[in-house]
Amino acid sequence: MFKYQFRWDTVFGSFDFLMSGLQMTLIVSAITLVLAMIFGLIIALFDMSPWRILRWIGITFGEIVRNTPILVQLLWVYYVLPIVFNVRIESLVALIIGLSVYQAAFISEVYRSGIQSVPKGHTEAAQVLGLSPLQSFRRIVLPQAIRMTLPPLASNFVQLIKFSSLGAVISVSEITRRGMELSASNFRPLETFTFIAVVYFFICWPLAMGIRLWERRLQSR
Amino acid sequence: MDGAPIIVAEGVSKKFGDNQVLTRVSLPVKERDVVCIVGPSGSGKTTLLRCLALLETPSEGRIVMQGVPISTPQPNAEIKAAGRAVRSDIGMVFQHFNLWPHMSVLENLIEAPLRAKRLPREEAIAIAERLLAKVDLADKRDAYPARLSGGQQQRVAIARALAMSPKVLLFDEATSALDPELRREVLLVMRQLASEGMTMLVVTHEMGFARHVGTRTVFMDRGEIVEEAPGAAFFDTPKTERARRFLQQFED
Repeated sequence: MFKYQFRWDTVFGSFDFLMSGLQMTLIVSAITLVLAMIFGLIIALFDMSPWRILRWIGITFGEIVRNTPILVQLLWVYYVLPIVFNVRIESLVALIIGLSVYQAAFISEVYRSGIQSVPKGHTEAAQVLGLSPLQSFRRIVLPQAIRMTLPPLASNFVQLIKFSSLGAVISVSEITRRGMELSASNFRPLETFTFIAVVYFFICWPLAMGIRLWERRLQSR
Repeated sequence: MDGAPIIVAEGVSKKFGDNQVLTRVSLPVKERDVVCIVGPSGSGKTTLLRCLALLETPSEGRIVMQGVPISTPQPNAEIKAAGRAVRSDIGMVFQHFNLWPHMSVLENLIEAPLRAKRLPREEAIAIAERLLAKVDLADKRDAYPARLSGGQQQRVAIARALAMSPKVLLFDEATSALDPELRREVLLVMRQLASEGMTMLVVTHEMGFARHVGTRTVFMDRGEIVEEAPGAAFFDTPKTERARRFLQQFED
């Protein structure tokens, strides 16, 4: 290999600068997760609605979002929405809208499969024992469905942390963007982007491992 | 074998699309009856039971509980209310137990008494503990269903049904999902209930139970009641060819 003089001090000298980017990454991911959970629930209710028109809207929306690239959606929200609606959209707002719509389309499937994973026999037993439909949903279906959906929701959070790096393209100052800015001034892309990759890894990997353990524990009960 | 019937199927038919599963089945069940319904699979036994449990609505005919209609093809508000009112008088034990896996054994037993009957918690727990002792599972009170064997789960399911003090208990192939060595413990509990005078309607493939415990055997085939006889008589002197052919399968 060629001889390379590592200069990690150029990265650590800007540690605070990069960490403020990490803070932005985590804030964006957390806000987006909450919005996507709410929005996903609405789509899931549309998907399972007894009215055909709502089902059609929910399913069409989900298919379109799931089958187009997230980056194209982000660019669309950032550059096209302002033209169509004649409004100014901050890059941060555009990132949060784009990511939460994208994740909501996946989370709605998580909810739906969670609810449908509860065997029909469980609600029939509740019915025969005299529980009302509402009691049966609240006491029998929901607790089991939530248990099924929590690990996939947590996995979505890990995905969001990684996807939020796309914010760099529309100049949201999360950690990846900060890295681009830093390497443009210190001319040390190797150290800078390696450091950033390591930061992502040590946040996402423990989370992913924890989720795997959690899922295994749920399955064994 | 006295008095008026508790629950009656009156000319009940059931169609799923074009598939006629039950054809004008009439079956009265009297107090302390242990009616065993036998027949080949697909003969409509389970559908009849589900109609009586108000899990299916008959396409024709009606279900009557102590003189009051509780289920008809197009129930009006009055019949729906009557159905809700007797809901907890009709208990059911399912082939696949259907215990709620996120609740402990005790929680499974007290859930319906607490919420549907609004019993005080201490009273519900006292009833549950007495019933668990009865099915010989007092020590499993705090266990989760997944930790129990199939036979134990089914005994918990029976106790859960009993916790609502039903007037009639429906068994839908309660031992079919169990390994042969686990069936006995469930059958023993069912036999004990019968001897205590519980009114039971039992869909089963256990010919021994039907013969020795049942007060009446009903043979169904292709959605109809083909033959009906008290206790062991059906097995000793089957009247129809279809019943004889059905019984032959159990001889070897």
